Amino acid sequence: MGIRIALAGNPNCGKTTLFNALTGSNQFVGNWPGVTVEYKEGKYKGNKEVTIVDLPGIYSLSPYTLEEVVSRNYLIDEKPEAIINVIDGTNLERNLYLTTQVVELGIPVVIAINMMDVVEKNGDKINTKKLSEEIGVPVIEISALKNRGLKEIVDAAVKAGKEANAQSPKHRFNGSVEHALAHIEELCLHNINDENVQRWYSIKLFERDEKIQEKLGLSSDVIQHIENDIASCEKELDDDAESIITGERYNYIGTIIDGCVKKAKKGMTTSDKIDQVVTNRFLALPIFAVVMFLVYYVSVTTIGGWATDWANDGVFGDGWHLFAIGSADYNDAADEFTANQLIVDGYDLYVEENESEPTGDFEYPVEDEETAAVEYETASLEDYAEAKAYVESNEEPDPAEYGVWIPGIPVFVEAGLDAIGCNDVVKGLILDGIVAGVGAVLGFVPQILVLFIFLAFLEACGYMARVAFIMDRIFRKFGLSGKSFIPMLIGTGCGIPGIMASRTIENDRDRKMTIMTTTFIPCGAKLPFIAMVAGAIFGGAAWVAPSAYFLGIFAIIVSGIMLKKTKLFAGDPAPFVMELPAYHWPTLGNVLRSMWERGWSFIKKAGTIILLSTIVVWFCTFFGFVDGAFTMLEEDQIDCSILAGIGKALAWIFIPLGFGDWEATVASITGLVAKENIVGTLAIIYGASGDVYETMRAAFTNASGFAFLAFNLLCAPCFAAMGAIKREMNNTKWFWTAIGYQCGFAWVIGLIVYQVGSLILAGQFGIGTIFGFAAIAVLVYGLVRKDKYNN
Amino acid sequence: MGTVIVVLILVCIVGAIVRSMIKNKKNGGGCGGDCGGCGGSCGCH
Repeated sequence: MGIRIALAGNPNCGKTTLFNALTGSNQFVGNWPGVTVEYKEGKYKGNKEVTIVDLPGIYSLSPYTLEEVVSRNYLIDEKPEAIINVIDGTNLERNLYLTTQVVELGIPVVIAINMMDVVEKNGDKINTKKLSEEIGVPVIEISALKNRGLKEIVDAAVKAGKEANAQSPKHRFNGSVEHALAHIEELCLHNINDENVQRWYSIKLFERDEKIQEKLGLSSDVIQHIENDIASCEKELDDDAESIITGERYNYIGTIIDGCVKKAKKGMTTSDKIDQVVTNRFLALPIFAVVMFLVYYVSVTTIGGWATDWANDGVFGDGWHLFAIGSADYNDAADEFTANQLIVDGYDLYVEENESEPTGDFEYPVEDEETAAVEYETASLEDYAEAKAYVESNEEPDPAEYGVWIPGIPVFVEAGLDAIGCNDVVKGLILDGIVAGVGAVLGFVPQILVLFIFLAFLEACGYMARVAFIMDRIFRKFGLSGKSFIPMLIGTGCGIPGIMASRTIENDRDRKMTIMTTTFIPCGAKLPFIAMVAGAIFGGAAWVAPSAYFLGIFAIIVSGIMLKKTKLFAGDPAPFVMELPAYHWPTLGNVLRSMWERGWSFIKKAGTIILLSTIVVWFCTFFGFVDGAFTMLEEDQIDCSILAGIGKALAWIFIPLGFGDWEATVASITGLVAKENIVGTLAIIYGASGDVYETMRAAFTNASGFAFLAFNLLCAPCFAAMGAIKREMNNTKWFWTAIGYQCGFAWVIGLIVYQVGSLILAGQFGIGTIFGFAAIAVLVYGLVRKDKYNN
Repeated sequence: MGTVIVVLILVCIVGAIVRSMIKNKKNGGGCGGDCGGCGGSCGCH
């Protein structure tokens, strides 16, 4: 017979880490509360008959938030055979509060004191034998992270579950409370056979738990009778019922702690010392800004950038030298050849333009590969003679002669298709569509993996929890809650779990607002187009990628302030209480696993939805009507393509944003299917005209390029994330409000970026500039206007 | 002949992708993956 064992415990006590260790799953683990919002099941590795259920973290069995409801309902309604109550050993007092309630449920409980390695390192001592006697359930020391005590805890839980002999709670309340509880049991719970369950229900009724009243279907007479019992007890103890129960529980826990725990005397912990700097009132924000700048700088510009250059130019380009052996010699030879060729071309250009040969020194254009800036250099006639002799006597260097040359995937595929005599149309579909599109997206995998390593490290070590705390201080000034920042932190990986994580927010209006703004933070799928814009339009400038992240935060804060002043979202911010977990070095395995999980989903997407999209985009790019006839187009005819037709019909929307051409328009539209499609689409369209980056660089100015980035960063997310918004909003009107707001806000920010940017960078002034400043004025008004709905 | 084989392979790949996406959608997925990072993965799969 199968046995279900539920893992119940406070948020961030290590339940999911324990779940992963017991089941071999790869559920997401974060070092902050609220990572798990729905329960998950998995089979125990050591015995497939045992099912482990990971419940969302809860502080008590009184349901205040959605995930607390999920956990409580599971325990009450599904009745697992046993519960492993996971307790953070470094914070017994708080964790035991839930324990005092779990042992009252009438389900066999085994306590797992987790993080014992940290407890021992701190020099603290927990007398588990005595603790077990005091609470009346088995207590086992474990460390989920270090795989310590895991078999023992499952064995104990299986044994308890098989015996099906639930413990009787040892704790008894004050006499008058017990008197009231007995009355309640007698009045309406005598039909329940299990005395322990009777007691749990009576306590909940004493606490005036409306959901339990509803569940038991009590009549108003009975409720009134119970109310009289509660009122007389409250009068006697001079406190409200819920506070009485809470106080009594903590008194009981206090006596347990006194008898079972010995704390080592010490001053500030390392975590406290780090927090003094990292959460310092003045230093916190600059440190956060520097950290995120470094994360994006290293991911996009340096390490990630180098790896992506190799992937784009090598694996998905012409090819690469094995272990880079011979690359330096080849580059020297290629540079020398190019330098001479430029002089020869420059001479020819002079002759063409002046219709005569130069009589002395002449200037020739040299384009910077990174920035596309054209500079003029001077060559003498002797230089030209030498260059001409060099070019005539040398062939363009062949990389294969300098080392082991591995051809890139497009070269390899093209050779294969040529060898089997493949039709040109099919060859075009594969090379210019699938390989170009999917390859352009996959080329960014190295950057994404580096970014995910950093994010996984920051999450697991405990820094991101501090960021939520820091942001709460800022958010609160504007009437927002720091609780909204947790979904945004999760959203840096993927917007969907970020949107789902908004369930931890009790206040419905704050929750809806968080759902609307969470996807402003750049997710992993947006990184490729951010890197593409940075590389193609801004010559790989280091500030572009971090600025996208900060633009996301700016958009969230500005939206929050403006929306809070509207009737729809008015109300005080929800209180944000969060325990800052101790800093710890994450294990390499956890960081790599987190990176791979997120990275793999990106790769899978490239092989499914992105691949299909590239086929559609290729077809719509290379087919169209010429002279009234539907035909396959030449590369110089793609202005007549289906895609061009769609893009031209909608491009007017983006003219005020500076990218009102059909190419950028259709890229933005295909980005709604999946954000990686922006890169895939641009690679196919611009690839048809030559080098993708060069064509893109020519199509955008700096102002229009950043407006394109801003719009696609902030507008409605991909279809999958929109689906998550619809599910979480559970209301069509709210869903469209969210999508409409996101698109409208993104358009306004894009307008401001382009119009003001063009004025500053290029001195352009026109009617659009006036609208740009008008948009700024509207935003400022939205930010500073009097708040009619809040105090 | 080569073209026919390539087209058949492509059709099989596209069919497999569409089938997996439909299956995923029926299972309540449709998020394009990242199940490990999804707070509700086991609730929906």
